Amino acid sequence: MSDSDPRQDRLLRLNAALDDELDAAHRIELERELERDPQLRASLRRLSAVREAVRRHGAPEAAPAALRDAVAAIGRPKANGRRIPLPLAAAVAAGIVIGAAAQALLFSSRAADPVAAAMVADFARAELSDRPFDVASSDRHTVKPWLVAHAPLGVEVADLADKGYPLAGGRIAVVGATPVPTLVYQRREHWIALTELPLSLGDGALDARGGTLDGFRLVRWADRERAYVAVSDIDAAELSAFAAAFRAAATAGGGEAR
Amino acid sequence: MISDAARRRYQAIVPPHVDDAYALARWLSGDPADAEDIVQDAALRALNALETAKVERPRAWFLRIVRNTALTWMAKNRSKSLSFAGGADDLAAIEAVDFADDDGSPEAILIAAEDGERVRRAIAALPQPLREALALREINGLAYREIAEATETPIGTVMSRLARGRAALAKILEDKR
Repeated sequence: MSDSDPRQDRLLRLNAALDDELDAAHRIELERELERDPQLRASLRRLSAVREAVRRHGAPEAAPAALRDAVAAIGRPKANGRRIPLPLAAAVAAGIVIGAAAQALLFSSRAADPVAAAMVADFARAELSDRPFDVASSDRHTVKPWLVAHAPLGVEVADLADKGYPLAGGRIAVVGATPVPTLVYQRREHWIALTELPLSLGDGALDARGGTLDGFRLVRWADRERAYVAVSDIDAAELSAFAAAFRAAATAGGGEAR
Repeated sequence: MISDAARRRYQAIVPPHVDDAYALARWLSGDPADAEDIVQDAALRALNALETAKVERPRAWFLRIVRNTALTWMAKNRSKSLSFAGGADDLAAIEAVDFADDDGSPEAILIAAEDGERVRRAIAALPQPLREALALREINGLAYREIAEATETPIGTVMSRLARGRAALAKILEDKR
């Protein structure tokens, strides 16, 4: 405020009064001035009218849900400075549980697949949650006993760190009413969730070529005892490479891993 | 790597102010999609800054990052409006606003205020420093000292920018068009 102009000074004080930034003493002084100065009163009405116009038409709506989710996800350990693609966050915000209609659309090549939907929903929920793992560890001797204790299946935990997929942890997903053990591997800034299913659940929709559901990639395969579903937001070729690495490691190290 | 302490501070400071951040980014960029990009960038910057930053007033602190991100973003993505992001032209435009010249009628402003499109155009036409001061005050509801912190300017400057911004808007809205 370099102005010595008393009129400018008064207007600054008028603005400050409008913004509730005047102390009591100055406020009383200004009120007295307003009483005897019609021009100042007109100025106040004018400023109030401008404020009214701005507040009425300038206020935008609240932040979109997708942005809200993305901003929250940035602070979670997974994000690690990585941007969350907004369409993905939007898809998740729009409905973590995917309706049968949407499934049929996205998975038009096959019938509605509740297992795929459950796995993608689980992945999306974990992606945005405070607790991406039930047990966080890169040590399979920690992860495996935990999963075995919490799910009614034996668990294959392959060590793929030297292939570029370090183990990050494990959690229990649920398909229908069946708890299923899920391993979480890391690929750069991404996660890959690998769920082991009883053959009764994994049967019938096997597709080693992979598919896409709600923006997430899936690859499924089975051996004689179990079915597997891998879900991630990495691209299809990378996820297939992961699946191949896991299968190779599981076959080679079968005795030790199981 | 970001420490756990920084993440916890982030969760306490940034997500609660996402509406304010988005509102400010929309005012500054004038575009909803740009505003989302700006807020995401700002959130990432905030997370990195929280490793060391001391934050006394979280909202003003985060909005300052949003504001700076918006200015950088617009300079990069909209070279045409570069001269409106605090350059010499801008300062001249601010000085040209004589807020003591206010003989117009409040009635004319109130009539113009019925026309939302007209009000938004008037806001968009303001020089950037005046627009941001008004946004922080009227939309975000910041106190003067918070606006000063968010825009890195002295309180006296904040006061005169608000006065000039309102006077400029009044002038535009009074014009019969």
